[in-house]
Amino acid sequence: MSARHILLVDDEPHVLRVLRLALEREGYVVATASDGNAALACMATQLPDVLISDIQMDGMDGRTLCPLARSTYPEHPFLILVMTSMTALDERAWARALSNTEFLEKPLSPRQLVARLARHFAALSSSPDHLSEPPHAA
Amino acid sequence: MKLNRIGIILIACALVAIGLVVSLLVVRQQDSQAAQTRIKGVGLVKSLSSVPLPLLRDSSGANGGVLAALLAYHDNGDFAYATIGDASGRILSEVAGRGSMTPNVPLPASAATGFGERALAAADGAPALREFYGPLADRSTGPLFVRVGFNQPRYALPAQDVSFLALLALAMFLVVPVVYLVIKREMAPLAGLSAQLRTLAAPGKANALDAANNGDVRELIDNMQDYLGQAGKRIAQLEQGALNTTADNRLLQYGSKKLNAALQSLPDGLLMLDPAGDVTFASGKIEPLLGIPMERILGQPLDDWCCDPALRSLIARFSGELRDNGRTHGGAQAFVQAVHFAPLNVEGRQLSASAQPLSGGHGTMSFGTLVVLRDVTREALARQAGNDFVAHVSHELKSPLNVIGMYAEMLADSDDESLRVESLNVIQDEIERMNALVGNLLNVSKLESGSMSPERNRVRLDDLLRDAYDQALTRAEGKGLRMQLDLPRELEAVAIDKDLFRIALNNLLTNAIKYNRPGGSVTLAARNEDNDIVISVRDTGIGIPAADQGRIFDKFYRVSEGDAPIKRGGHGLGLYLAAQIVELHHGRMELDSAPGVGSTFSVHLKIVSAPAGAAVL
Repeated sequence: MSARHILLVDDEPHVLRVLRLALEREGYVVATASDGNAALACMATQLPDVLISDIQMDGMDGRTLCPLARSTYPEHPFLILVMTSMTALDERAWARALSNTEFLEKPLSPRQLVARLARHFAALSSSPDHLSEPPHAA
Repeated sequence: MKLNRIGIILIACALVAIGLVVSLLVVRQQDSQAAQTRIKGVGLVKSLSSVPLPLLRDSSGANGGVLAALLAYHDNGDFAYATIGDASGRILSEVAGRGSMTPNVPLPASAATGFGERALAAADGAPALREFYGPLADRSTGPLFVRVGFNQPRYALPAQDVSFLALLALAMFLVVPVVYLVIKREMAPLAGLSAQLRTLAAPGKANALDAANNGDVRELIDNMQDYLGQAGKRIAQLEQGALNTTADNRLLQYGSKKLNAALQSLPDGLLMLDPAGDVTFASGKIEPLLGIPMERILGQPLDDWCCDPALRSLIARFSGELRDNGRTHGGAQAFVQAVHFAPLNVEGRQLSASAQPLSGGHGTMSFGTLVVLRDVTREALARQAGNDFVAHVSHELKSPLNVIGMYAEMLADSDDESLRVESLNVIQDEIERMNALVGNLLNVSKLESGSMSPERNRVRLDDLLRDAYDQALTRAEGKGLRMQLDLPRELEAVAIDKDLFRIALNNLLTNAIKYNRPGGSVTLAARNEDNDIVISVRDTGIGIPAADQGRIFDKFYRVSEGDAPIKRGGHGLGLYLAAQIVELHHGRMELDSAPGVGSTFSVHLKIVSAPAGAAVL
């Protein structure tokens, strides 16, 4: 099985750095972007298996990016994990409207993220149909 | 009018007229009787005087003499006597009627020459007499005289006159009431007029006077005069009243205009709706608040012009409750309903609308509904800003915490020495960042609550600038930046709060280091310029785009870093705080920046001329 692709989007370089190190250590292929536009550019070259995005970012923020990623690639319903510090009360509503989208609470533990991804991919491979598998991973 | 009095006068006049007629008749009758008596007396005396004496006084015959025959012929009431006597009144022969006798009165001297007549006053018991006399032609026995007396007629009315008089009186008594009634009838309008005049002249007293006054023309005139007097007074009063009313009206108009001006200049918009829901008043502010022209609002039902559903439903709900309340409680209760909405016709505005009963006279009168529209855009924005502030600060605090947590985990998990060093450095940086944020937050809070009052002392800037420079130097060198200090030999003293000013300087220097490019430089300089001291912090960093320069000192404003390769993670408080502190010192902050070249922040402070011997800290 070829490596899973993870796209990390955050405007905090330290976060990208730590998560990249943690995920690469688990064997994932990690791409990083500092805002929504950069993330969409990354997706155009390589569709991720999981998109992990911050919400508050300079440039295009996560709130714009996630629905756009869903609508741009409707046939690839990859998992979207939204990192949120839950400061605004209505922050979850828009994400609930998106399919296959979940939250990651800040402060985020790299260990928990690794475990969350492992569960996700385990569930995917045990399910009979591989609907959410991107074509290159099939 | 006293019609009764007129009646009495009429009756009196009639009686007087009757009396006059009767007395005239009596006089006429007496005259004619006297004339008859005279004819009879004169004739009798003349005829007797020619008769020879013996024939006159012959008392031997069966029939007596002529005198006796005379008596027999004339003894019918008014014949008193016939006498033959001498001049002295001695009676030779006499005949007398019943109850009569010849008075013993001598004849006047004229009797000897001719016939005459005289009136003899009534003696005791005997009536007044008229006597005719003349000399006897037969002078056989000396001069003798014949005297014939008639009783003066007493008053007597002939029967035919009585009936005539009765008819006359009857006619009078018939005519008097008719005349009275006619007069009364003709006077009736006058009486009415009089009563009316009296009422007008002395309103309120009319009834009391009515019974006493039955009215006549004099009273009518009196009343007329009263009325005219009263009317004159009333006219004067009314004229005075009109003057007063004009003055009152002007006052009232003035008050009304003032009230209207007050209503119009209220910052809130007012709408008054009558109970039917039509707008009876709209203050000028309504138009800009709702974006609906006044002429569409005034006098129109709400549904015709109001396109904001929130406002419509508020008023509809309120009117419904007002009606229900009016029915169930018999009066409008003081209740107010309010709603917030964004008007459809005006961009980006938030309004608060409240409806309340418009009642006066302690709630006894209801004029409909009063709707107050208030522009709460600022409040909404302030609330939004407050929420944003909390969200922002939480985010700014959570972000370093997040990074610290991640690096701490990595530190625990990693055996790689370089990663451990990196982790420790990042953790330290993030703690510093949080510390700076918290410090700045506290300062901003103090600044905004007004509790940050600068303690200004005359300070020599050299030391302060050197301190700040030294502090920044280690950080700048850690980032590989060159740091320069450029001070003139002699720097004028300024009056500043040292601690506050240090915060401002540190924030400027921190930014200059943070937003610099690798290998760049930071210059802290000061110079005397006219009456100012200018402290400048110059960097060779990324610069600030012109579009952002106007807002760079706003709270929480951060220049978009876009696709910059390195993110600096500012929190948008440093420059705001620095600018506020400079402002507290009555100085000004200037910015000169070009993207890609660098930025220079200059602080201009007034030089304080030193009083002789003043201490400089």
